[in-house]
Amino acid sequence: MTVVADTEADAGQKAVAERVRKIREAQDTGVSRAEGWRRRGPLLPALIFMIVVTQIPFLFTLYYSTLSWNLVRPGSRRFVGLQNYIAVVKDSQFWSVSFNTVILIVGVVLISAVVGLLLALLLDRAFLGRGIVRTLLITPFLVTPVAAALIWKTTILDPTNGILNWVLSLVGIGKVDWIGQFPLPAVMVELIWQWTPFMMLLILAGLQSMPRDILEAGGVDGANAFQLFRELTLPHLRRFIELGVVLGAIYLVNTFDVIYMMTQGGPGIASANLPFYIYQRAFLGFDMGQAAAMGVVVVIFTMIIASFALRLIFKSFSGKEEAA
Amino acid sequence: MATITYRNASCIYAQAETLAVDSLNLDIQDGEFVVLVGPSGSGKSTALRMLAGLEDIDEGSIEIGGKDMTGVPSKDRDIAMVFQNYALYPNKTVAENMGFALKLRGVSAGERRKKVEEAAKVLDLTEYLDRKPAKLSGGQRQRVAMGRAIVREPQVFCMDEPLSNLDAKLRVQTRTQIAALQRRLGTTTVYVTHDQVEAMTMGDRVAVLKGGKLQQFASPSELYDKPKNAFVAGFIGSPAMNLVTAPITSDGIRIGESTLELERDEMALLADAGLKEVTIGVRPEQLELSESGGVEVIVDLVEDLGSEAYLYTHAGAGIQLVARSLPRSPARLADTVRLRRTPDGVVHLFHPDTGERIG
Amino acid sequence: MTTAPATISKRKARKFSPWAVVAWIVALGFFFPVFWMVLTAFKQEGDAATSPPKLFFTPTLDQFKAVFDQGIGPAMLNSLFATGLSTLLVLLLGVPAAFALSLRPVRKTQDALFFFMSTKMLPIVAAILPLYVIVSNIGLLDNIWALVILYTSMNLPIAVWMMRSFFLEVPGELLEAASLDGASLWRSVREVILPLVSPGIAATALICVIFAWNEFFFAVNLTAVNAQTMPVYLVGFIAGEGQYWAVLSAAATMAALPVILCGWFAQNKLVRGLSFGAIK
Repeated sequence: MTVVADTEADAGQKAVAERVRKIREAQDTGVSRAEGWRRRGPLLPALIFMIVVTQIPFLFTLYYSTLSWNLVRPGSRRFVGLQNYIAVVKDSQFWSVSFNTVILIVGVVLISAVVGLLLALLLDRAFLGRGIVRTLLITPFLVTPVAAALIWKTTILDPTNGILNWVLSLVGIGKVDWIGQFPLPAVMVELIWQWTPFMMLLILAGLQSMPRDILEAGGVDGANAFQLFRELTLPHLRRFIELGVVLGAIYLVNTFDVIYMMTQGGPGIASANLPFYIYQRAFLGFDMGQAAAMGVVVVIFTMIIASFALRLIFKSFSGKEEAA
Repeated sequence: MATITYRNASCIYAQAETLAVDSLNLDIQDGEFVVLVGPSGSGKSTALRMLAGLEDIDEGSIEIGGKDMTGVPSKDRDIAMVFQNYALYPNKTVAENMGFALKLRGVSAGERRKKVEEAAKVLDLTEYLDRKPAKLSGGQRQRVAMGRAIVREPQVFCMDEPLSNLDAKLRVQTRTQIAALQRRLGTTTVYVTHDQVEAMTMGDRVAVLKGGKLQQFASPSELYDKPKNAFVAGFIGSPAMNLVTAPITSDGIRIGESTLELERDEMALLADAGLKEVTIGVRPEQLELSESGGVEVIVDLVEDLGSEAYLYTHAGAGIQLVARSLPRSPARLADTVRLRRTPDGVVHLFHPDTGERIG
Repeated sequence: MTTAPATISKRKARKFSPWAVVAWIVALGFFFPVFWMVLTAFKQEGDAATSPPKLFFTPTLDQFKAVFDQGIGPAMLNSLFATGLSTLLVLLLGVPAAFALSLRPVRKTQDALFFFMSTKMLPIVAAILPLYVIVSNIGLLDNIWALVILYTSMNLPIAVWMMRSFFLEVPGELLEAASLDGASLWRSVREVILPLVSPGIAATALICVIFAWNEFFFAVNLTAVNAQTMPVYLVGFIAGEGQYWAVLSAAATMAALPVILCGWFAQNKLVRGLSFGAIK
């Protein structure tokens, strides 16, 4: 190619880019704007509804957090700026409860993801009664959490008559007061029981969407089952596991029912998580200002983690590619 | 009268800074079967979709029957389209698929049934009328897609690579059926394909596109005999035309160690153009084995097709030449043979930089 | 429609492979608490809290009768109302939103979706205080409508997310074909898209029903006697019945059973929904 031809090509490209720019400019005005609104139209009702119902209360929470306000002392409401926040930071119980919350979320999500993965692998092959097994396995996810927590607390974990202790007594372990002595683990076990089906289904979907022929190719190339799993299956499942972890974490941040029913956060605050603790402050202690401040702190922490999480979901599952 | 006119029509890609279709100018007569052909990314599908109203006309205009289609939505253009993946409505039966457009127009159920049954008879779909697309084979679905288009009796048919999802044998069969059908109905048709064999056999005229730009718009025989540039020359015909860029000598061109001789008028054209190098094009069937003279080559591969054979050779320094010869030819792998042009063989001359035809 | 990559594994596992046995054992283990709950509901109190636990006994319906007598009716109705109506609202608001976000993408599509998902991430506990104040100020405390609105906002993000993925599965060509056939947008949606997407919408509705029915936090804080839903009723029941396990199990069973049955019967839809249309 001669030098002359190169610059000609460049000039040609520039001319094209110029024309494209002119066309785009013309498009951006007038007609397409009306079309844009028409396209966005169906979205508006839902959007407006969400803004009103979720954002406005949160703005109020921000406002309340700057007040010293106790519901049993009406008329004592006054503006105190950031005092509530300082009190929250100084509140050792708050930190201990935060710690519980983190342990709870991380523990439940990780364990249920792992167990879910194992179960998904088990269910990936056809066997007699697979449909029934799947039905049985998704049931914990369907049961009303308070009802499930009730059953766990009474019939299973009760020190005297609970099934768990009876089974353990068969192998010689004495009676343990699970809820009294290990409140947080007890709550976590119940949550793992409830959330594993969700993880399992998600991962199973991932397994079943994987093309089989690459596994066959790997097998022919000499990989054993474990290697196939590690090199081929697991990377493919990563998206699904991530989605399960993120969604599970989102829901678990708000866990309340189980703690309310099983331990009431106790003994003391040993098994309280942030939502329960805030609930106690607000509805049992009637200290709205403090509770609001705690709520805001929780929101800030969650937002930081959530922004990572959202980026993750969008990277893995940005719609259009999936539909291609 | 369903004439179609593309006037400097352009379309930009959604996210990019380039033109998918660049100033396309086509004049299509009423009842003509025009094929848009080119490699992927050539803009042929986009050009078709512009006609159907599925892509915006960003510059220029498109007229159907003399009426400007800018701003006219697809549903008002009276165009029927056969999609590459057929786009059959999965929840409707074959009959419902075919009758949908008529239903939208308010045609009575009885009339609809009649028209659908007529079309079904032509396409051999009568026994499938009450089935849903999921229960049909690929070939049957393709026919339903055609039926859906025919029933409408539109002024234009658009077909976007309708045969590419069929197996080879079915493709050949359906090709002839489509061409015959169009001739019977007389509807103006614009057909997109990447397969130049389809283009050559089906089209009244063929438009070759590359990079969004029209290369040549002519009848198949004209494309074959007088390609306007090196790209068209190399694209049309199978096996492809041999294109070699080589230096010009006193009586021809040097290929490898040998010289391919040129006629005097061809040499004169080259002299007029003042070139030191030229790109020549010779079709495989216009090269033959010879005892002496011509170009010395080494045989890389012999494809014996039974009725004829193709020799794939090279003449040093990566210059490859394909020649046609008689079947069960005397040449074998790694032989050194000589190729020369046949007595009536045509050598096309193209400018080595622009690719434009010389003479 | 093109074929999906291998769906169910057809690996010729022998039907009684050891892994199948493991799967069965694990499944029964997971199911056990639910089984025990239902079983205990049929026991006399004397048979309920024993050690060792009793597997065989004479069943009775007394516990269920006792629960009915205590007035579970209103709570059941409240739950039905709140769940049904909120799910309906979610669909009414969510289907158009999901449609707008998928089939006709505009700039800012990602932003809107981001916003929807972000509302889900903010801990509801942060909003409960002003919600309590607002709800009581507009006189909706202990009114089922408060729950209807809140459940709608609770489920709408997930619903939009899920339904959008189902909408995205519809090949764009179908809309183009309908448009060429002469259909207006509304007609295309009605005749072509909705039939295709309806299993996905059903799956979404099922998920909404599950979450709404089982919801406790909003219900316990914003309702008292009139508008209490099943979970709240259950908690109130415990306060009264303390250590009487059999009747508690009966109440728990009645609270949980509707959704369990829904989930079982619509299992495939549930699985589809939970995998967010990730299976093609």
